[in-house]
Amino acid sequence: MAKLYIDNDKYGEQAASPIVEAYHSAIKDLVRRRLDEVGGDWASFVFDKSYDLIGAKDFAAVEKKLLATGHRFDWSAMISVREQPEIYKPAADAQGDAKDFSFEHAEAVVAAADAGGREQRGIGDNVVKYANNLIGTALYIRSSDRVLQLLTNGVPPDTVAIIDDSGGTLTAPILEQFKGVICAGGTVRSHLGILTREYGIPCLMNAKISGIKEGDRVEIESTAAAKTAEDYQRGVEAIARVWRLRK
Amino acid sequence: MNSNNLSYTQLLETNNLIQTSADETYWLCVTRTVQESKLFPVPAYMMLSYMMAYFRYPSLLRKIESRMSAEEIGDRARNAGIKIQNPSMGWALPGFYLLGREWLINLGLVRPQDAVEDLIYVMDFWKRFELSWHRNDGHITNKEFGHRGQFLPERQLQVFHADMFDCVAGDELHEASQAFMAATSQYGFLISCESRISLHNSGPYKLADDREMIVRDFMDLSESDFPWLDDVAKEVPYNNLTVTMAVKDCHFYLMDDWGSFESKPEFTADKLVGVALYTSDTLSEGYIPVGMGSREELTATFKSLTDKVKTASNKLWRRVAGWTRDQMIDAGAITYFAIIKDLAHVAGVYDVSDWMTVDERAERFRPLFNDEYSRDALVGLCIGTHPSHLANEYTMMQHSDKPQRLYSPIPYSILQGDDFTSSCGPVYPGKSHLEPKIDRYTTTRGVLTLAEYNKLAREMRPHYVDPKYRHLCETWVKYHAGTPLADELYKLGQGQSRLLKGKGSTLRRADVEKLRKSAR
Repeated sequence: MAKLYIDNDKYGEQAASPIVEAYHSAIKDLVRRRLDEVGGDWASFVFDKSYDLIGAKDFAAVEKKLLATGHRFDWSAMISVREQPEIYKPAADAQGDAKDFSFEHAEAVVAAADAGGREQRGIGDNVVKYANNLIGTALYIRSSDRVLQLLTNGVPPDTVAIIDDSGGTLTAPILEQFKGVICAGGTVRSHLGILTREYGIPCLMNAKISGIKEGDRVEIESTAAAKTAEDYQRGVEAIARVWRLRK
Repeated sequence: MNSNNLSYTQLLETNNLIQTSADETYWLCVTRTVQESKLFPVPAYMMLSYMMAYFRYPSLLRKIESRMSAEEIGDRARNAGIKIQNPSMGWALPGFYLLGREWLINLGLVRPQDAVEDLIYVMDFWKRFELSWHRNDGHITNKEFGHRGQFLPERQLQVFHADMFDCVAGDELHEASQAFMAATSQYGFLISCESRISLHNSGPYKLADDREMIVRDFMDLSESDFPWLDDVAKEVPYNNLTVTMAVKDCHFYLMDDWGSFESKPEFTADKLVGVALYTSDTLSEGYIPVGMGSREELTATFKSLTDKVKTASNKLWRRVAGWTRDQMIDAGAITYFAIIKDLAHVAGVYDVSDWMTVDERAERFRPLFNDEYSRDALVGLCIGTHPSHLANEYTMMQHSDKPQRLYSPIPYSILQGDDFTSSCGPVYPGKSHLEPKIDRYTTTRGVLTLAEYNKLAREMRPHYVDPKYRHLCETWVKYHAGTPLADELYKLGQGQSRLLKGKGSTLRRADVEKLRKSAR
């Protein structure tokens, strides 16, 4: 079989990701076979014959081969799992809008209720330091369907949005109406962090919370020091707390 | 191919440019934010965009340069807030192309010595543009300048400084400008499919011991190149808006080649003490004031624009929420790939099929781009964990100290007979899953058809690229201020200034500040 230029790599090792390694091995094998078919002449293959000889069907076969092993892909965009649920891991809780749903982060820092009835239910990275802590009502927003519903019917007053998408587009049409945001991902420099700063909305990013359900009254320690870029680079801990308030 | 066409110097320089881009790519990807979205399949569209860049950039850049040199486009970019600043030019032009090349190397589909003439040309174009655009700060990138971007000439900075309106936290202008920037930033993320490439920050520039100015560009806001803005953005009256911001007691210590900033202490809205608003595009003589007749007019303008942007944003969100995955991937990949499209607008050779379609050679790879493979392949490309990245164990890559190289250099062995190939070929046909583009382009000369837009662009010769003025640089001004020619040059840029009209070339920063105080 034809040998590829990269087959003789003194320092190269397997790709760090098993799925990348599986894909790339299959594709390199495909390239070797197609190169063989044209007699091994690289110059006429690389930017000419390969365009016809290696096509979408071949790449679809690579994916099919992996799926045949039982592997199902992680998903990141809701549209992916919605259109092809058969190739992705289940996304049963993707909507996350049920009344009994709550984020349960293994590293959530919790503590018993203090004298004022505040029970710590997590921590996060504060985007901007404000003069006062923020109190509001928890509302999970994890899908475009939920956003559309809130866009149509209005965001309830006092909403502290709990989100697991650190991007700036999912909640774009309703973000300004939030009183506060708790985001279970990203950093203070994620797009959601940037936008809440621009809007002056108290926000914790990279939040690790537990036991907060929709409708709970929550308090965000928005008076905590803001986490800076240098904090991230130096691995400095700078956390703000999240409390659930007594009903 | 015959290596006689290539010189050792060419390869040395190209490999240096590749390595410069590689080191910064790693730093940006590791230290800046991760781009995540539940709405858009971001890694999938990014991977596709790199393929589009690899197969089309060489031909499209040659087409652009057949009309106008990279250096002249750089001169024009320096004087207008259009989308050939950062991250487009400082990072994305070489970055997208080289990331695509590196991925193909790891698939065994190309070798480091393939498409060598394309590679040399792309990197050379980048170098010439960057040096021209950065002429006033003398660097090739913000990175080389210690993450700072000060490319504006004094005559433009004086106009920005003079015409800015003061504001303080809580006053009407302060609130209106903040609301505008928040809404437009959010709109920008949505337009750009969760990327920040509709937004650009530059500077900082020193206004006083306790004040700095940064220039914030919001680009591609109206009906123009992107089909997904047709109709929904019809009421947004300007395609590009630039906000100049004076900030007190806050030092912007980092302005990177992605156009984002860091400051000490952290910038917060209460530190904003001055704002102004401008528009510009390839058809304008630099920056045109927007609503700058009075403080009240500017406040009302910000409010009006905020309403329009919010309306467009909501309409766009509803459109995007109804897209298929292929449509989302196309929009994202086109946004990324076409990040340098304004080069073609400046040269007057913009073509929808060049920039708003997915080349069939790139399209082949779409079946690979499920969320998981795309994510892992992308992360590997950005932090250097694919086999092609690994170098001998004695070496330590900048920033990581690991034996890595993010982009493969061209092997010098091609100069002594090893075979290589020259080009990946011309632009191939492309397609898109999106609605076809409506032939409507919002410009500073009104809403035009593309044919009209290209015609006007080809005819456009701003004063700053007129041979009489083009090379009257900051060094020349230093020794010729007050001469008739220097005054003439400055007055051209002061023509629309509220406070500086006709003032000429002799003012210093303190004189501008005095004029501001007397106008309060």
